[in-house]
Amino acid sequence: MRVAFVLDGAPAELEAGEGEMLVDALRAAGRLSVRETCGIGVCGACAVIVDDEPVSACLMLAAQVDGRSVTTVEGLPDDDPVLQAFTQAHAAQCGWCTPGMVLTVKAMLADDPQIDRERAAEGLGGNLCRCGSYSRILDAVQLAAELTLKED
Amino acid sequence: MRWHAPADLEEALLLRGVHGEDVTVHAGGTFLGILMNQGLIAPPALLSLGRVAELRGIEVARGELRLGAMATHLAVERHPEVREGWPMLARAFGLVASRRVRAVATVGGVLADADYASDPPAALSALGARAILRGPGGERSVSIEELILGYYTTCIRPDELLVEVRVPPAPERAVYRKFVSRSSEDRPCVTVAAAHGAAGLAVVVGALAERPQRFDDLCAAAAGDLAAAGAREQLAQDYAARVEPIGDARGSAAYRRRVCAVEVRRALEALAA
Amino acid sequence: MRVDPRARGAVRYSVDADMPGQLHAALVRSTVAHGVVRGIDVSGVAPGVTVLLPEDVADLPLYGCQIADQAVLAERPRHAGDVVAAVAAPTPAAARAAARAVVVEVDELPAVFDALDAAREEAPLLHEGLSVSDNDAAYFGIRPVAGTNICHRFRIRHGDVEAGFAAADVVVEGTFRTPAAAHVPMEPHATVARFTEDGRLEVVTGTQTPFNMRMELAAMFGLDEEDVRIVVPPMGGSFGAKTFTRQEGIVAALARKTGRPVKLVLGRSEEFLTLNRHPSIVHVRLGATRTGDLVAKAVTCWADTGAYADCGPGVAQKMGFAAPGPYRIPNCWVDAHAVYTNTPPNGAFRGYGAMQSIWASERTMDLLAARLGTGPLELRRRNLLRDGDAYATGEAMHGTCFEELLDRAAAAVGYEHDPAGKGLCLVMKGMQTPSRASIAIEREGDGYVIRCATTEMGQGARRSLALLAAERLGCRPEQIRVPDPDTDRVPYDTRTTSSRSTFMMAGALAEACEALLEDGRRGHGTIVNDGGLDPDTGQGVASTHWHQAAGAAHLEVDEETGRVRLHRVHCAVYAGRVVNAPGAALQNEGSMTMGLGTALFESVDFNEGQVTNANLSDYNVPTARDAAALTHELVEREGAPIHGLGETALPPVPAAIGNALASLGIELYDLPMTPERVLEAIDRRAAPSPEPDLEARRR
Repeated sequence: MRVAFVLDGAPAELEAGEGEMLVDALRAAGRLSVRETCGIGVCGACAVIVDDEPVSACLMLAAQVDGRSVTTVEGLPDDDPVLQAFTQAHAAQCGWCTPGMVLTVKAMLADDPQIDRERAAEGLGGNLCRCGSYSRILDAVQLAAELTLKED
Repeated sequence: MRWHAPADLEEALLLRGVHGEDVTVHAGGTFLGILMNQGLIAPPALLSLGRVAELRGIEVARGELRLGAMATHLAVERHPEVREGWPMLARAFGLVASRRVRAVATVGGVLADADYASDPPAALSALGARAILRGPGGERSVSIEELILGYYTTCIRPDELLVEVRVPPAPERAVYRKFVSRSSEDRPCVTVAAAHGAAGLAVVVGALAERPQRFDDLCAAAAGDLAAAGAREQLAQDYAARVEPIGDARGSAAYRRRVCAVEVRRALEALAA
Repeated sequence: MRVDPRARGAVRYSVDADMPGQLHAALVRSTVAHGVVRGIDVSGVAPGVTVLLPEDVADLPLYGCQIADQAVLAERPRHAGDVVAAVAAPTPAAARAAARAVVVEVDELPAVFDALDAAREEAPLLHEGLSVSDNDAAYFGIRPVAGTNICHRFRIRHGDVEAGFAAADVVVEGTFRTPAAAHVPMEPHATVARFTEDGRLEVVTGTQTPFNMRMELAAMFGLDEEDVRIVVPPMGGSFGAKTFTRQEGIVAALARKTGRPVKLVLGRSEEFLTLNRHPSIVHVRLGATRTGDLVAKAVTCWADTGAYADCGPGVAQKMGFAAPGPYRIPNCWVDAHAVYTNTPPNGAFRGYGAMQSIWASERTMDLLAARLGTGPLELRRRNLLRDGDAYATGEAMHGTCFEELLDRAAAAVGYEHDPAGKGLCLVMKGMQTPSRASIAIEREGDGYVIRCATTEMGQGARRSLALLAAERLGCRPEQIRVPDPDTDRVPYDTRTTSSRSTFMMAGALAEACEALLEDGRRGHGTIVNDGGLDPDTGQGVASTHWHQAAGAAHLEVDEETGRVRLHRVHCAVYAGRVVNAPGAALQNEGSMTMGLGTALFESVDFNEGQVTNANLSDYNVPTARDAAALTHELVEREGAPIHGLGETALPPVPAAIGNALASLGIELYDLPMTPERVLEAIDRRAAPSPEPDLEARRR
C-alpha cells in the first residue's frame, strides 16, 4: 500500500510491501542509520521518533506511519545538542547503537530537561550497547542536558 | 496480507463480524510484530484499530477508571488521574519493556495477547478490573481471570473486540512487585500484585505460570490479620504451595516457587506497612 | 564541532554494502544435532530462486582455520543449525521464504553434547580422521588424539608436580564450569561476494581476520591468494564472532553458481548457531605450605569446541597456559583439551580461553586462602610474579606490575578495611605469539594515508593509528586517513585479535614513519614477535608480553532470593602507555560490561543440542543500569611499551564477584552466578557438604 508521511521534515511517500516493517521501508528509502539487531523491540538500534515518541521500527508496520511524522537521526541539524554531546563525550565505540541512543536521549530530555544519571540509565534501559559504552553515553546525556539548557 | 484500517468502532466491529478468524486484530502491533518477524505467524489480513479514536480514551466516571482498548501503556502510566487514583496500576504499566514499546503497546493488546510475563494483567486482576468485549450480540463484561485462559489464550470470540477495561475505585492499599533474575531490563521471573481494601484482600502472582495466579480462598481466610507477621508468612507459604510454576531461562519451577513465597510476603508487608 | 559520523549514523558497515545486480541469500539449516542428509526436496521453492546443494560444492575441499574439518554445506550435519543448503533470490524476503520451502530429510545419528561425555572412547565420533589445516592460523603444534573427539591437547610439565603436592601442607581442589555464551555483535554477520569477469573472488565482509580468510577462500576455490580480495568495512561489534571463515564460503559458492553477486545477512537467531564461546570444565588442584607459599598446581581443562574445531585448539591452548596464573609455582602440570560436541561451533571470544581458566584458578586461590586462614589479598601478594621470576612455561617475566594493580584494585573497594562482601582477582593474559604485522604509509595531498589490515570493530584502531602516526610525523591526526582494509592494497598482517594490534602495529608504524621521513613519499614497516610453546611440555615463550590486571568487587546478597546487588566492581589495568585516552577507557568499560554479563547471567542454553534462547529477550546482555557499578583505572609507566586493552578487563569481573560471594560463605563453582545458583550455594553453606564430585555434578 501507498504510505504518505513526513520523513525528517519533508513530505515522503513509499510503497509498503505486505507486512513490511518500518525499519525495512526506511532502509530502502536510504535511511541506513536505522538498523535492525534484535527484531523484537528490545535493543533500540532501530529506534525512530514517530510524531513525538521514540518507537521500535522493527515492530511497527510501515503502514502504521501513514499520515504521521517520522524523524531519524539523519534529520537532526549539526548543532543539535544531543549530537554535539555524543561527539564531545566520545560516547561511541562501533557506533551501531548510537543513532537509537541519540533519539532516545532527545525524547528523554524533552520530558525531563534536568535528568540525573540514575534516571537517564533507567531511560536508556531499552537501548543496548554491546560495546559497553554506557558510562560515556550517560556522560553525553548530562552534557546534552547542559547544552540544551544553554540553547533555550 | 490485507490491511483493514477502519475509521471508527462501528466499522471495526462490522469487519470483525464479517471476517472473524480470517483477520488478526492489530492494536499497537508490538506483539504481532515479534511473531511476524520470527516467522511464527503470517496472517492473511490485519484489522488495524489504529484509526479508531474512540478507543483511545482514558477517563474516570463515577469513581471507576475506564481505559480504552487503544490507550497506550505510556498514556496510562502518565495520565494524571491514573497516577493519582491508581498509582499501582500506573507503576505496573510503566514497568513494561521500554518506553518505545510502551508508546505503542495498548491496554487491549496486552490483555488479548495474554503473554504470561506481561505486567499489566496481574495488576489489573488484583484491582478487580473487568474487560468489556463487544460483538454482534452486544457487550459482555469479564474479569481478568475469566478473560485469560492460558498461554496466549483468551475467551474473546472471533467476532468480538476487547473495547475497554474498567477498573473499580482503587482499594486503600495496593502494591506491585517485579522480581527479575538477570539483567535489570529482563522480563520478570515473578511478579506480585496485591490490593487490600473494602473488597477484601487480593493477591495475584504473575510471570511464574501460564496465567496470573490468584487464590481468593486463601486471601479471604487471611485478610483479617495482615498486621501479624506470622499470618503474612503463612499466606505467602500457602501461595507458594498452591502455584504451579513453569521453568525457563529466568528460573526453574522450584526456584520460582521459593521466590513466590518471598515476594508475596514482601508484598503483604508493604500492604501492612 | 563536526558531528561524529557514528552519532549521525553515517558509518557504513558490511550490512550496508551492496553490489550491483546482487541476489539475496538465506540458509537452510539442519534441525537435528547429528545425522546424514538423505534427500533435499526443492519442489516447493518458487521459480527464479537458485538453490545451492551439497553436489554443487562437492569439488570444494574441507576448510577450517586450524583443522580442516568443515564442508561448505554439510552432508552430515553435526549440530542443530548446521547449514545443509542455501538459496539465492531477488529479495531477502523471497530468499527467506524459499529457504523455508526447502525440505531436508535427515537420518539421525547418535549425538553427544557434553565435553566429558564426548571425550570418552565410546562416544559417537564427530569427525573421522583429522587433518591439521595449512592456514596461517594453525601456527602451533596441533595434537589431535586419533580415534577420539579430542582435536587438540596441550600440556605443561614444569617441575615435579607429585613431589610438589607431597611437600604441600594444604591442598584444595575444585571443578569449575562456564557455559556457552553469545558474542551478540549488534551488527549481524553480513557478506556480499562476487566473482569478477577475470575470475577473481571479491568479498566485502565483517571480519577480524582478512588474510586468514583470503588464504582459506583461495584454497577453497582453487585460486591464487592474489585472486581473492577481502574488503572489511567497520564492524558493528565483533568480540571474536567475526573471525576466520564463517558464511563467506557459502556466499561465494552461491555467487559462483548464480554468476551474480550474492549478499547474505544473518538473522539474530542464526547468530546463536554460528559461533559461541567455548563452554569449559576446569579442574584445579592447588597445594601450598602452611606459610602460604604455593608449591604445586595441577589443572585439567576441557574446552567444548562444538561441531567444528575453528580456533578451538588455540583457545584450549590459551586456557592451558593461562592456568598457572600470575604466581610463582615451582611445580605445575596442565592438560588442556579441545573436544568436539554436537553443538554450534565455539571460537574466539573476548578473553579467548583466559576467562575460563582465570575463573577456576582465582576462585581456587580463595578456597586456599580460606583453608590456610590467611587473607586472599595477602596470599596473592605473597606469591605473585615479579620481574625475573620464571613462569610455568619457563619464560622469564618482565614488565610485571601485579602488586601495584592488586593494591589499587583492593584500595578501590576498601578491601583492607573490611573484606566482607568483597573479592579480588588477578589476571595475566597472553598476546598472540608468534605473529607478524606490516603497515605502509604514503603521502596523500597535504596529509598521509595508512595502508593497514587492522580492522575496525569499535575498538578505535584507526584513531589510535592516526594519533601515533601524527605524533611521529608532526602533523594533526585529521591529516591521516585510514581506509577500510582491502587485501589488494594493504600489507600482510596476522589478524586483529588478542589485543595485539595497538602494540604490534605501533611498532610497525614507527618503522614505517621513519622510512617515510627518509623516502619523502612512502614508508613500510614490519614487526615480528617470535615464540611459541612445545605442545607436549608447554615450555617456550607463550607470549612476548603479557596483559595484566586486577579486579575487586564489593556486593551484597538478598539471601532470600539469591539476587546479587553490586556496590562496585573495579578493575586496575596495565596499559604501559595510553595512546587514545577515550578509546582506552571505553575498551576497559566494554570489557567489564561483558564480564558482568558473563558473571551474572549470560548463557546460551541447550536442550539436546537445540539452542533454547536464541533471541535478545531470552538471552540477556547488560544494560546501562547493570553497568552502573563498574569503575576502572589505567596504570601507565613511563617509557613502557603500549599494551593492548581489548580484553584484559573482562576476566577479572566474574572471579572478583565470585570471590566476594565466597567471602560471605557463598561458594560458586559454575557461571553464570544466577540468583538461583547463589541461593543453592546459600543452602549448601547452611548444610556444609564436600564439593560434589565431577561425575555427580554432570548428571
